[in-house]
Formats: sequence, C-alpha cells, structure tokens
Amino acid sequence: MTPTGPLLVIALGSALGAAAFLRFPRAWLALVLVGTAAGLGACAFVLWGGPAWDWPGGFEVAGQPVHLRLDGLSALFLALVCVVGGAGAVYSMGYWTDAAHPRSASRGRLWWSEILLAMGFILVATNGLHFLIAWEGFVLGSFFLITLDQSRREARQAGWLYLAASHVGTLCLFGLFGVLAARLGTWELGPVRGHPELAPLFWLALIGFGIKAGAFPLHIWLPSAHGSAPSHASALLSGVVIKMGIYGLIRFGGWLPVPAAAGWVITALGLVSAVLGVAFALGQHDLKRLLAYHSVENIGIILIGFGFALVAASRGHAAWGLLAMAGALLHVWNHGLFKALLFLGAGSVLHATGCRRMSGLGGLWRRMPWTAALFALGAAAISGLPPLNGFVSEWLVYLGLFDAVHARGASSLLAVVSAILLGVTGALALACFTKASAVVFLGAARSEAARRAHESGWAMLGPMVALAALCAAIGLFPVLAWPAVARAAADWTGAGPAAAAPAELRTLGLCSLVVAILGAAAAALLWRRTAAGSLRRASTWCCGYAEPTARMQYTAGSFAGIITGWFEGVLLTHRTQVPAGQGPGRAPIVDEGVPSSLDDHTPEAVLERVVGPAARVVMRVALGARSLQHGRLPAYLLYVLAGLAGLAAIIFLACILT
Amino acid sequence: MSSGLNLLIGISMGLNLLALGSSRLPSLIRVAAAQGVVLGLMPLLMEHHFSWLVALTAVTTAVVKGVVIPTLLRHAMRAANIDRDLDPLIGFIPSLLLGAAGTIAAVALVRVVPLLPEHRGLLLVPGSVAAILTGFILLIARSKAISQVCGYLILDNGVYLFGLLLIHAMPLLVEAGILLDLTVAVFVIGIIVDRIQRAFDSLDTRKLTALHE
Repeated sequence: MTPTGPLLVIALGSALGAAAFLRFPRAWLALVLVGTAAGLGACAFVLWGGPAWDWPGGFEVAGQPVHLRLDGLSALFLALVCVVGGAGAVYSMGYWTDAAHPRSASRGRLWWSEILLAMGFILVATNGLHFLIAWEGFVLGSFFLITLDQSRREARQAGWLYLAASHVGTLCLFGLFGVLAARLGTWELGPVRGHPELAPLFWLALIGFGIKAGAFPLHIWLPSAHGSAPSHASALLSGVVIKMGIYGLIRFGGWLPVPAAAGWVITALGLVSAVLGVAFALGQHDLKRLLAYHSVENIGIILIGFGFALVAASRGHAAWGLLAMAGALLHVWNHGLFKALLFLGAGSVLHATGCRRMSGLGGLWRRMPWTAALFALGAAAISGLPPLNGFVSEWLVYLGLFDAVHARGASSLLAVVSAILLGVTGALALACFTKASAVVFLGAARSEAARRAHESGWAMLGPMVALAALCAAIGLFPVLAWPAVARAAADWTGAGPAAAAPAELRTLGLCSLVVAILGAAAAALLWRRTAAGSLRRASTWCCGYAEPTARMQYTAGSFAGIITGWFEGVLLTHRTQVPAGQGPGRAPIVDEGVPSSLDDHTPEAVLERVVGPAARVVMRVALGARSLQHGRLPAYLLYVLAGLAGLAAIIFLACILT
Repeated sequence: MSSGLNLLIGISMGLNLLALGSSRLPSLIRVAAAQGVVLGLMPLLMEHHFSWLVALTAVTTAVVKGVVIPTLLRHAMRAANIDRDLDPLIGFIPSLLLGAAGTIAAVALVRVVPLLPEHRGLLLVPGSVAAILTGFILLIARSKAISQVCGYLILDNGVYLFGLLLIHAMPLLVEAGILLDLTVAVFVIGIIVDRIQRAFDSLDTRKLTALHE
C-alpha cells in the first residue's frame, strides 16, 4: 500500500472543498495549502523512489473508462503545480485582497482552485477524451485569471488574444487525439511506437502544445497575457501554465513515433526562442512584459535540451541525450521557481508603487529591501549564475551539448551552434536582468510613487522567501534533485531504471557550496567594515555632479540601447526623441521650456507584422464574400446555375478523361 | 412513334426560344402555357397501349398547365395592374443567344449521359436540360415577379420532361402531387404579387432586397 493514492485523494478533496469556501479567504487558503502539500507529498514519493501510481477507476465519465496514472514525468510537473499554486495562493492574500478588490477577489480564488485541479487532471489523465476535457477547463481557468481585473481594457484584450491563440492550439489537439483514436480504436493513451504511419501527428502536437508553451514564433499571446494578469496569476501562468505545453510535447514525444526531423526542428525552435526571447526582453520597459519575454527565452532553453534528447533517441539513446533531457526537465522546475519568484517580486513593486513602467521606478532597494534582495536573487538565478539553480540546469544542458560534439555526424555541428547560442543567450539574459534590477531598485527614485513606496507584508514576502529558498537549495545541493529528474527522464522513454547522478554534478554541488560560503563570508566582512566605519548615506549615481537629478540616470531604454541596436531588424524598435531636430554640428536644438527626452517602444513584432496583417487579409476576404449575399434573387439563381454548370463540367471532364 | 415524340420536344425547344424572345408579359404567359400543353400530351405518345391512367394524367396536366395556371397568372396580372412590358436585365438578343447555346450544349451533352437503350433515340434529356436552362435564364434575366413565375413554370416543364424517363416507375400519386404543388404555388404567388404591388407600387424584384440580412 503506497501513500500516493490517499495523498492524491486528500489533494482532490481539499481542492474541491476550497471551492466551497470562496467567501472565507482563510479557510480557502488553508484547504488549498493542505491540498497542494498532499499533492506535493504524493509527487515526492513517486519521484524519490516510489512506484508509479496507477488507478483503473472502473467507472465511466463521458462514455470513457476513467484511468489515472501518476508516473515520474507527471509527478515532476505536478510537484511544480503544487509549489507555485500554494505559493501564489498565499501571495494573493496580501496582493489581491477582498478589501481592495471586493468584486474579483473571490472570483480569483474560484479560478485559482479550478485551474490547479484542471492541471492536476491533465497530468494524471491517460484517456485522450479526459485529457481534452481537462485541457479545456485549464484554458478557461487561465483566461479568467488573466481577465480577473475586467475593468482594464488591456487585460480584456490580452484575455481575448490568449483565448484565440489557445483555441488554435486546442484545434490541433482535437485533430491529434481524434486521429489517434480513429487509428487505434481507443481513446486510451500510451506508447504507440509500433505505428510508424502516425509519425506526422507529432507536428500537430508541436503546434498545439507549442502555442501553449509559448515557443517563438507561437508566443504571440504570451507577453500581453503575462503582463496584464494580476501578478500572482502571472507567476502561475509563467511558472506552470506554459509548462503544460512542455509536458504535452515531452509526453507525446515519448509516446508517438517521432519523425526524423523532430529533434532538429525542436532544437531550432528552442534556439530561436532563446535568443529572440531575450532580445525582445531587452527592448521592454514594462517590468512584467520584460519578465514575460524571459519566459520565451527559458522555454527555448528547455526546448534545446528536449530537442537534443530527441536527436539522441533517434541515434539509439546516446548518453548525452539523458543529460540534455535531465537539464531540460530540471530547467522546468527551475524556471517555474525563479520566474514565479520574479513575478511575485514585480507584483510587490507594482503593489507598492502602482507603476509597471521602469521609467517611473528607481531607488527602491532602500524602501523595499526584502523585495529587492529576493528579486535580485531570482534575477541571478534566471541569468544562470552559480551557485543558484539556473546554473545547474543550464549546465546539464551544456554537458549534454559538449558530449554531443564528440558524437559523429551532423548532430555535433548542431551541438556546437547550440552551445554558442546558449552562451549568447545567457550573456544577454545577464545584461537584461542587470538592466531590470538596476533601473528598478538602484539609483534614485524617478517618480513620486517610487519615492513613497513601502515594503510589502509577510503574506507577500513569505511565498517569495520560500521560492527563493528552493532556488538556492537546488543550486547548492543539485545531487538531491537528480533522482527526481532522472526518474522522470527514465519514465519518458520507459527505458529501464533511473540513471545514477553523474560525477560532475557532485563536483558542481561542492563548488557551489564553496562559492556560496565564500560569498557569504565576503558579504559579512564587507558589512562589518562598512558598519564599523562611518557609513555615510549619499544619493546614488551622482557621477561627481554637484547637484544630480534622477533624470541624469540611465533609463531602461538607454541601458539596453546598444544591444537592442544589434537586433534592430527583428525588434522594430520605435524611437521618439525630443528635441527631434539637430542644429549645426550635431548639437541638438534645445528648447528651454521642453525637457529633452529619449524614449523607445518595442512592439510584439510577430503579432504586428505577421499575425495582424494575415488576420486583416482574412477579414477582407471574408467581408468580400459577404457582398455575395445581397438579396437579389436573380443573382442567387445565377449562383445555382453556375454551381450546376460547374458540376456538369466536372462530369463532362471525367467522362472525357476515362 | 419516337419521331412524333421528338417532334413535340422540338416544338418545346422552339417555345423555349420564343419565351426568351417575347417582350410582353401576356405573350410570355401564352408561351409557357403552350409548352405545358405540348408536354402534357407526351405521355399519350409514349405508351404503346392505351391506358386510362396515363390518359387521365396527360389530360389533367395539359388542362392545369394550359388553362388553370395561365388563368391564375392573367388574373394576378390584371388585379395588380402591371405594366405589360418586360424590362430585361439581360437583353432579348443575348438571352436568345444564351438559350440557343444552352440547347446546343444540351444536345451535345446527351452523348455522355448513360441512358437506357429504349431512350437512346429520344430527345427527352436534351429537351429537359434546355427547358431547365431557359427557365434559369428567365429567372435571372427578367425582373418582374410574374415573368419570374413563367421562368419557374418553364423550369418545371424541364423537370417534368426528365420525369417522363421514369414514367413507368413513378406512381400517379406523385405526378398528381407535383401538379397540385405547382398550382398552389402559382395561386399563392398570384396573391403575393397583388400584395407586393399594393405595398411597394412596383413588382420589380430588384427593389426587394431590404430583407437580405
């Protein structure tokens, strides 16, 4: 008797119970926490050595027998759902209170419970029809979380775009599951490697799940949705919701027969997502949109790892495939943790200042030391700096790439290119988070709101501390996380027991510990020095000016200006400069009354340059077709005659040809 | 035998062209009625042995198409006091050319249509297609409601001609039903035409487009 089943029953029971206590926030929170803790326990049991949980229900829902299964791969994702779901629920108590949002707070709780349940069912469903039902519920739940603040126009538009994009994805999934069920005669899902004719279905899965995962160029819904949702919902969206797409891809990449080019295409998608995601992030001056584009980048890193695992699988399961896969799976966890942390931090800033534009922030470290420190830790983690968790997973992917270089064939070339581009991505991400942290937390306040900012309460800081602690724990003790990841990777292919931790991981853990201890010691020393000496507080970034103002600081745009210039052709950044003209000798014409300024705006290029024009063409054609419907009976009869003539022509041609 | 039948079908084809070429409403109604009578007599020629049933069908068809329906139409025309001129959307000469081209195409088309051996020598199928095409052209090219009814009648004559291929397979009841439908339809249209005329002061169907959405 394993504890998995009872724990999952507790999780389900408390999640359902929570829905009954929407009007009582504390009771709701307690039930959600019990549910997520129970779910987390079940996942931990499966991941760290327990057997997979399999429950043939014995009754039918929607005409299909219920069959649930929690194996290593599902457990890995379910654990993330539980952690971020619990943390966000606590955070919402301080962030989206009933006092501040009397209309939407309880609705937010409802959809929060619903989406956690739906994601849980997606992860344990083994029946295609039930998977689709849960998937629809999950799409709906995230739509209502994005549009929680219905009074804001941009939130409604973001929700609309999300719903439209999701439906395109769901349409592909309907095609995928429909064809699978028609070919196999059953909705039950499972490995179907023995049907090579089903291989093209993988491309349907790639589009359907790729839209949800937000891989470039399928990410059009992502920046506005993440940017406009309430911050705890953004944390869930970015940390968990887009991972459902990754789950689907990995799951069906393991079950379906995979076309030969799949690994290459996914790696290429990953590379494009990683580099362009971070490039677009550099161009953003809205803190939450910046974080949203980093989701695209991190999904890219995960896809690179997964793509190499597929390439390895097509070459007889080379060992480097396992490393790349483990890196990708660990990055799923890591990105979920630090991106949730960063969004909660951004929410804390938003809560304190009411401002998302970085040009209105600055100097917040003094006013909000906890938020600033936790955000900086998250920023270091997402930039892949040791000794934090982001480094561990990226390093595993690198190890896989380096080993793949030694293998013969074209894949070694791909590995070299991927390693270089991954390095570029890491460097750009570091630049981007230097920009974000520096502009928001360092320097001097750029607006009155930033000057009067206040630190958030513990309901908001507590979940952030917990997420930060998990980030640090995985970074410092990667060996402890390895069995879980190895178990999930083993369950992916169904090939034998989980692999032992590679020796490099132990070395890395030791190095990280040493770095962490040395860093802590250096910080303590520095602190003592400054505390002992006469510590003088002065305005920051004064650059030797006698009378510095906040306007002299680097802005978000000027900080990233050089790098965004490299990607000018893709980003389509739009600059506005005041004064616009230049006098003789390149000197700007200065008007005393108008302060000079430089501002730029980076739009969502795929949406505005590809999807938008395509949609307009479709609209024009559709409106043109409407003019056929004008009410003149003779013309309608003409249509009928033309149709008849067409049919006659077809018959005539067929007679001539045969 | 079949030459007599073909003669009647030939006359019906000629009446098609006459319908396309006529420029006044009464003559159009007369042409449609004449074609109905011609076609109505055909079952008598198709049968080798005289049978009361077929004779009854033929006579009823001829009477309804040749007398009842035209009377209804003339009545509607007089009641609504319509201008007798037809103002065509497609001119008379182009309509005639189209009709002639359609008839030729129909005769050409019959070669590729698989037929029973006993129907091979007959012009039934081309005659039917030609009448249907003529009906369509009238419906498309004439704007007055009554002229459209005539187009509809000629179209129905084409369908009836095609139905003659199945004269042994089709029960009398179906034949009678179709005829009754037709009569009722024309009767109703006659009433509607009157109402339209009173409400809109015109029977030009081009002006009746406000309800299209």
